[in-house]
Amino acid sequence: MIIAEPKPIDEIIDSLKDFNRILVAGCDGCVTVCEAGGMKEVEVVASALRIYFKQAGRAVTVDEISLTRQCDRPYTAQLADKIDQYDAVLSLACGVGVQFLAEDYKNKPIFPGVNTCFMGGTEEKGLWTERCQGCGKCILANTGGICPIARCSKRMLNGPCGGSSDGRCEVNKDIACGWHLIYERLKELGQLDRFETPTDPKDWNTSRDGGPRKVIKEVSRL
Amino acid sequence: MANSSGKKKKGAVLVVGAGVAGMQASLDLASSGYLVHLVDKSPTIGGIMSQLDKTFPTNDCAMCIISPKLVEVGRHLNINILPNTEVEGLEGEAGNFQVALKSHPRYIDLKACTACGQCRQVCPVTAVNEFNQALDLREATYMRYPQAIPRGFTIDRNVCIGCGLCEKVCLAEAVHYDDTAKEFSLDVGAVILAPGNEIFDPSKFDTYNYLNLPNVVTSLEFERILSASGPYRGHLMRPYDREEPAKIAWLQCVGSRNINACDNSYCSAVCCMYAIKEAVIAKEHAHGNLDTAIFYMDMRTYGKEFEQYYNRAKEHGVRFIRSRIHSIEPEGECDLRLTYADEQGQQKSEVFDMVVLSVGFEVGKETVELGKRLNIDLNRHKFAVTDGFKPVETSRPGVYVCGTLQGPKDIPQSVMEASGAAAGTSALLSESRWTETRSLQLPPQRDVSKEPPRIGVFVCNCGINIGGIVDVPAVREYARTLPYVVHVEDNLFTCSQDTQVRMGQVIKEKGINRMVVAACTPLTHEPLFRETLLDIGLNKYLFEMANIRNQDSWVHMKDRQKATDKAKDLVRMSVARAALLQQLEEQKIQIQQSGLVIGGGIAGMNAALNLAQQGFSAILVEKGTELGGLARCVTHTIDGMEVQPYVDSLIAEVKAHPGIKVLTESEVTSFKGYKGNFTTKVRVGSSLEEETFEHGVVIVATGAKEYRPKEFLYGEHDGVMTQMDLDEVLRQRGAGNGNDPAKWNRAIMIQCVGSRNEENPNCSRICCQSAVKHALELKKLNPAMDIVILYRDMRMYGLLEDYYTEARRQGIIFSRFDLDDLPKVESNGAGLKVTFHDHVLQRHIQMPADAVVLSAATLAANTDQLATQLKVPRNAYGFFIEAHAKLRPVDFSSEGIYLCGTAHSPKLISESITQSLAAASRAGSFLAGKTLSVGGAVAHVDKSHCAACLVCVMSCPYGVPKINDENVSEINPALCQGCGVCVSECPAKAIQLSHFEDDQITVEVHALLEGAV
Repeated sequence: MIIAEPKPIDEIIDSLKDFNRILVAGCDGCVTVCEAGGMKEVEVVASALRIYFKQAGRAVTVDEISLTRQCDRPYTAQLADKIDQYDAVLSLACGVGVQFLAEDYKNKPIFPGVNTCFMGGTEEKGLWTERCQGCGKCILANTGGICPIARCSKRMLNGPCGGSSDGRCEVNKDIACGWHLIYERLKELGQLDRFETPTDPKDWNTSRDGGPRKVIKEVSRL
Repeated sequence: MANSSGKKKKGAVLVVGAGVAGMQASLDLASSGYLVHLVDKSPTIGGIMSQLDKTFPTNDCAMCIISPKLVEVGRHLNINILPNTEVEGLEGEAGNFQVALKSHPRYIDLKACTACGQCRQVCPVTAVNEFNQALDLREATYMRYPQAIPRGFTIDRNVCIGCGLCEKVCLAEAVHYDDTAKEFSLDVGAVILAPGNEIFDPSKFDTYNYLNLPNVVTSLEFERILSASGPYRGHLMRPYDREEPAKIAWLQCVGSRNINACDNSYCSAVCCMYAIKEAVIAKEHAHGNLDTAIFYMDMRTYGKEFEQYYNRAKEHGVRFIRSRIHSIEPEGECDLRLTYADEQGQQKSEVFDMVVLSVGFEVGKETVELGKRLNIDLNRHKFAVTDGFKPVETSRPGVYVCGTLQGPKDIPQSVMEASGAAAGTSALLSESRWTETRSLQLPPQRDVSKEPPRIGVFVCNCGINIGGIVDVPAVREYARTLPYVVHVEDNLFTCSQDTQVRMGQVIKEKGINRMVVAACTPLTHEPLFRETLLDIGLNKYLFEMANIRNQDSWVHMKDRQKATDKAKDLVRMSVARAALLQQLEEQKIQIQQSGLVIGGGIAGMNAALNLAQQGFSAILVEKGTELGGLARCVTHTIDGMEVQPYVDSLIAEVKAHPGIKVLTESEVTSFKGYKGNFTTKVRVGSSLEEETFEHGVVIVATGAKEYRPKEFLYGEHDGVMTQMDLDEVLRQRGAGNGNDPAKWNRAIMIQCVGSRNEENPNCSRICCQSAVKHALELKKLNPAMDIVILYRDMRMYGLLEDYYTEARRQGIIFSRFDLDDLPKVESNGAGLKVTFHDHVLQRHIQMPADAVVLSAATLAANTDQLATQLKVPRNAYGFFIEAHAKLRPVDFSSEGIYLCGTAHSPKLISESITQSLAAASRAGSFLAGKTLSVGGAVAHVDKSHCAACLVCVMSCPYGVPKINDENVSEINPALCQGCGVCVSECPAKAIQLSHFEDDQITVEVHALLEGAV
């Protein structure tokens, strides 16, 4: 899923302090699961805003809602009949949701309430780690199911580098060396011979280097 | 089944002593369908535990964990508490006893007393407060401690001057100076003795000068000093000058392990742990760097995870000095000098600010007299005589024993024994279950869900507790102005019985459908008012309480106006919430009347047998081909009981009992369901066939195994063996086979092999006694044999100490070694050579030996798969973790699942039997209910908003939420404990807790802040 974390409340207040009617809009998708932008966070942020405006002596309306997904238009459209009641929207969805709202409601300022971080998974309650960088050309088949693009600090294709020490990365001892993990896994699988053939340079066209991307699945198109 | 006189057995039980053991036995039995008469000579229940500050090894506050038990006992419909009462005599036989009792006058009628405390406030007399160990004073009219049950005062007529003030101020008219002693008798089927012990009185030791040196205190006095409710309000002070001590010493074994100055040769079993705990807690209380030193002989931290507690204390800087202190000398004005020889034999002298005497247990004179009156045998130490295989039965059939009268022991062991004694009783009287119990007859409930709220507000004066500070009539009139309020009144005591009746009438007459009581705390009084609602056919959840006493009149007594204003605020909040309260339905579901017992050793068999004797059916699942377990490797116990004939007869009894189904070579393959209704699949026998069983409870008794040492040439030299191997060698000798130990010239035993080290920090509890048992046996075989036991601490706890004394008397040599200088075992041709450091000679000694016996650790059996299936926790060493180390030693935190035997931690056979009976008692008291109420204040999920994010699954402390087939969270109301953690964690706000819904809480907050923001 997409992992995000709540923005500091001061930053949110700074972006909204001049508005009078604010809607805080959560998303029931990924950001709910990673506890950054679901209905609970909507209520937390909205309460913090109300306290701020009350203390500032300003009568500001702060309403709450959470949409099923902000990355699908039928769901963002659920705001259509109420959007005019507000002069700003704080979206707690990922960057995708914020942009969909901004595209759908062109005359409304839409502010992000979270920092969208990466694609990852839940390690344990309250801890999420990165697994994928969306490079557009998956090489996990050759690397023992461990991605060197996401897990190696240098995104090396032929690792490990000289900075790997006792399985830890030179960038930070808290980071496991991705290539060390790949080595251990390939050893487990009896595939260490993969290290005998160097991997060719990667075609980064499918990644960000080719500009903004789109995916078309012809059979799915109507 | 009837007894010899042909009379049907009585379904009532007498429990003597209302300490933690007596309370546990009473709760188990009362829930199992017996009427319990709980007698205590004190005006309150609770025993010694109520006086303790914190408890080891969890450092829980003793009062915090015992007070819910007190309340439970106090409120149980089938526990008849008889305070100030003693047993005069016992006639009859098991099943039909007649007990003669005598109640001493209390001078305050408990039925009328509301515990408002006015009588105490006016009492002009001061007396020594024995609850605080005479460190402060109390009035003549007193309650032993604020949480006391029964809730009511007592007049101490030994000091009362009869001034009549209390009688005058008591608006409830509860004071009766003319109260007299009453003699009466009861018919019961069985008796459980739990009178407890007294603590040793150190004043008889002249050299400790306890009576003359104020800063020498007993450990119980020190508990009161540390306690927040104690004489110094939890401030660490010494008695003489109320200064905070900077240096405290604890002297162990005061009145224990002593045949010189007193007759108590036994070990009191608890003092090492409480001394460590007191040292650690004292350090937490101290403002400076408190120096703590414990002077001891052997550090006996033999209980579950006690050794880690000991290790942590060392890390905290508690000093441990192995030396027995002879005398305490005064130094300066009030300091204390200790002179001692250290382990190297050097004389040392240190001055302390305070000395704590770690006093042991002793059976009190009155208890000895009670034993005589009841005609039960006491041993030479005055503890009740029990058979090692029937550890909770006294010499008189039908009379059971638990707690410290059975032998010195700690709280969890007492609680286990109490449940064990209840199990014995329940098996004896099962034919008469539910024959004498009382039950509530309730009218059908009126559905008020369609009615608009009609709120009645009852404001309590609590005598003058509230009314003396808060303007109660003003609060009452204010309540009249609040929305939906249709009736208001104030009462002198809202909780009194006559008020309950009147409130019920008013509620009916005025069609009230929500009740608000502004009085004291729901902790003590909510159940009472809920009962009042139930009595008139209203749902108990339609009740709300405003605490205008503890949280208002008591804390703002200097400002009446503000106290009154705050009372109005609190009432406004409660009324706002009351309007939103919903009636909640609780459903009854049937409990399957059977138990699955996993493990067919001594523990599992005893548990299954007791369940069956209680009238439930049991399924006993054993992995091996035969029942018997590890006990098959033990020939006899240290007290000479033959184990194999016992196991044989137990197996025969289990197999012959029609209520038990025995499955050998069997394993649990799947497990699902919840308390009362589990479904388990068991693969039976060598075939791959599975059988499915429906059952209400599970008892885990999977046992343990002996460590196979990797050290000391084990497995490399025939002369090196474990204690269990030696048992086998001795047995084979009996059969005329193999290596004859009688021919050995010298045997050397090494203790703590695989225990108390880095890999396994636990003490294995039973190996010290195994070594002494076998050493004594070898000595008997060949009195000329040299036997050397190399040890670290001889943990011959409780009455085992006598065998340790006997071993030394017979010339068995005990030599102590340290972990950093382990003995060395080398091969010496056919023989062996052992090198060790002798702590007396201060040098290494080398000895040839014919045999080296290793006291190998007791390790948990492999239960990975089972623990995953049952979803029950284990510690890092594979032993199962009970719900609470102190008060729920055989329950798992998942209800309906219990544990016993060495699966819990290493223990002796008698201790395993006790624990298995305890597990059967806990299981039986649950099954006896036959139905289970589920629902009420539990969490519920709004499926349409659930993101299946697993946050509830991860955060529930009881493991209840599951993502179901519809891919949403499902919370089983039968399992939900209503704690609300998932509600606060749910990132989609899809979970709410009934009775504590968001709107019900926020409306209260808004009502509070009304006008303020």
